[in-house]
Amino acid sequence: MLSRRLFASSQLGLLLVIGLLGLVLTLFAGSHVDARTGATVNNFLNSYTLIQTATDASFFAVMAVGATVVIVSGGIDLSVGSIYALAGVTTAMILRAMGPADPAVTVIAGAAIAIVVGLVCGALNGLMVVGLDVHPFIITLGTMWILRGIAFVASRAESILLPAPLTSVAKASLGLPSALYPVPMLVMVLVTIVGAVYLTRTVMGRHVFAVGGNVEASRFAGLRISRIKIGVFIASGLTAGLAAFMGASFYGSASCGDATGYELYVIASAVVGGASLSGGKGSAINAMLGALLIVLIRQSIRSLHFDQNYEWIIIGAAVIVAVVLDQSSARFTRRRLATSAGTPTSS
Amino acid sequence: MTRVWTVAAVAMLAAAGACSGSGGSGSTSGGATPAPGLKIALIAKSSTNPVFLSARTGAEAAAKELTAKHNVPVTIEWLTPPNEDGQVQAQRIAQAVNEGANAVLISCSDAGKVTGAINDAVARGVQVMTFDSDAPESKRFAFYGVDDVKTGQAVMDELAKQMGEKGQIGILAGNPNAPNLRKRVDGVKQAATKYPGIKIIDTFYHAETAQDAAAEVIRVQNAYPQLNGWAMIGGWPLFTQTLLTDLDPKKVKIVAVDGLPPELAYVEKGLAPVLLAQPTYLWGYESVKRIFDKVQLKQDVPQIIPMELVRVTKDNLADWKKQLKAWGFTGVD
Repeated sequence: MLSRRLFASSQLGLLLVIGLLGLVLTLFAGSHVDARTGATVNNFLNSYTLIQTATDASFFAVMAVGATVVIVSGGIDLSVGSIYALAGVTTAMILRAMGPADPAVTVIAGAAIAIVVGLVCGALNGLMVVGLDVHPFIITLGTMWILRGIAFVASRAESILLPAPLTSVAKASLGLPSALYPVPMLVMVLVTIVGAVYLTRTVMGRHVFAVGGNVEASRFAGLRISRIKIGVFIASGLTAGLAAFMGASFYGSASCGDATGYELYVIASAVVGGASLSGGKGSAINAMLGALLIVLIRQSIRSLHFDQNYEWIIIGAAVIVAVVLDQSSARFTRRRLATSAGTPTSS
Repeated sequence: MTRVWTVAAVAMLAAAGACSGSGGSGSTSGGATPAPGLKIALIAKSSTNPVFLSARTGAEAAAKELTAKHNVPVTIEWLTPPNEDGQVQAQRIAQAVNEGANAVLISCSDAGKVTGAINDAVARGVQVMTFDSDAPESKRFAFYGVDDVKTGQAVMDELAKQMGEKGQIGILAGNPNAPNLRKRVDGVKQAATKYPGIKIIDTFYHAETAQDAAAEVIRVQNAYPQLNGWAMIGGWPLFTQTLLTDLDPKKVKIVAVDGLPPELAYVEKGLAPVLLAQPTYLWGYESVKRIFDKVQLKQDVPQIIPMELVRVTKDNLADWKKQLKAWGFTGVD
């Protein structure tokens, strides 16, 4: 029952599209001769490229799950990239100040710091949105700059190395051949499952959909709107902090410039996954698949040797046209249903 | 559901358009196993920075020469991100290795971010060389570029001469995370200690685009009207024409690193009496030759290959322009 709900038709559609793009890449991305083994290797369909693609997507996807919760509630969070940078820089600075410690302590401390920073930033966003009664776009636009500025000032723009135990965990091969690192991918899947269960199987998740669908009706139904709104930003901050921990650990350093512009990829992932910016619609699994699809489009541009300078044009056009056509499709469906029911409609 | 299919369809259509209308990356098209040869992934910091475009031109010229001379196809795969991002660079290194590159040539936006990816590439048998901005803790086999501390010192020494060793200056830096630029800033500050009459107002960072850099200079100049010198450790704002009209060469002097065509008007006008040009074309040209020596000819290559700066002034401007033209630059009067 749960699996059926988790993998509804829209997920299957995304999976089919990802599969189709994968097929195109397998057929047309060519192959190369492995220098060490002498074997011919398909440029796309090999374990390294597949895991690398999932790894590239994982940092967006984890944040996209949190961002989707915000979007479902009718809000938006532009500050996720800056939270990522601040959480990474803070983690790196505190661990550096702590000095050498037991590897397990280092890893747990690192994760805790990044997640706490994310939670605090998310809570601040939520409190300001509710307390100041200002649209989340404005609040998170402001905190996007403020938080990155704090990261800049605190780190003095230095790129700070993370202790080796963190990288060892993020790049653990888990029994796979060397240079295959499945941990970010597994974290992405885990976060997506938690996000999906939260949104679809818990009362809190239902409340988020209710607020996003109709805030006034939710208020009359007795929902505590302020608490729900603060909660969604905390969820977004939490995933940004987790993504920062994972990203900084995987790449081995953190700097104030990290994740610049990633908020747009994160929002695009949610939107491509079907989330509605007017609220009430969205899915954690779709957001993850949306992130995978966007990364796969980027991968296609390079693997098929298209001019990569067209990357932004292609992704931007794909997102805009997709949303416009989706809206048209929804409008058409509403009209058809209304016609069959014999009632007039407004567009 | 509709949205998903539309994304895929638009992406494919747009990509097809990009493919048909592009110059491509200059390498093999998909579908077939490429002929044996040397495939070098070139990953500069940003594809919007002219200095890296000239490095690409140099790399492609060297590849052409080597292909003709040794009858070994040498191809350059341009994998430079559109804007500076060490994380994306690390991803592109992995992608290059996964797709069969024999070598990677990279200018590191953030050494900490790419060191792991460089080491992974080397572990999988792919040689890596750095240029312009090094990752000294990595397993790259060589670095080609200027000594950044000395470059910063040279900028300050030249500026001090132009200002009569007195006045107030600003240091214009670009990406604060780039290790090479941080070293140049250190060099400027070290050299400034020799000139007690010169006071450094501050170091000013900016997004590494010409417009952002020019806007930063104007903002700072308005905030500090007494400022009469600029130590620019990169030539970013001089790629615009704005400062030619906004700054008075009688009041303000600039010494900048780099000497590409758009910057030369500043020398002619006297606003930037000295440019310390990095022969950026050679980043690509020399590095590709060194990679060929290492990978194809199995020769030893020095770990540090120093690049010499070219001092461009009104006196040698004509010769420098000729050199730029010979390297394929356009827009040189």
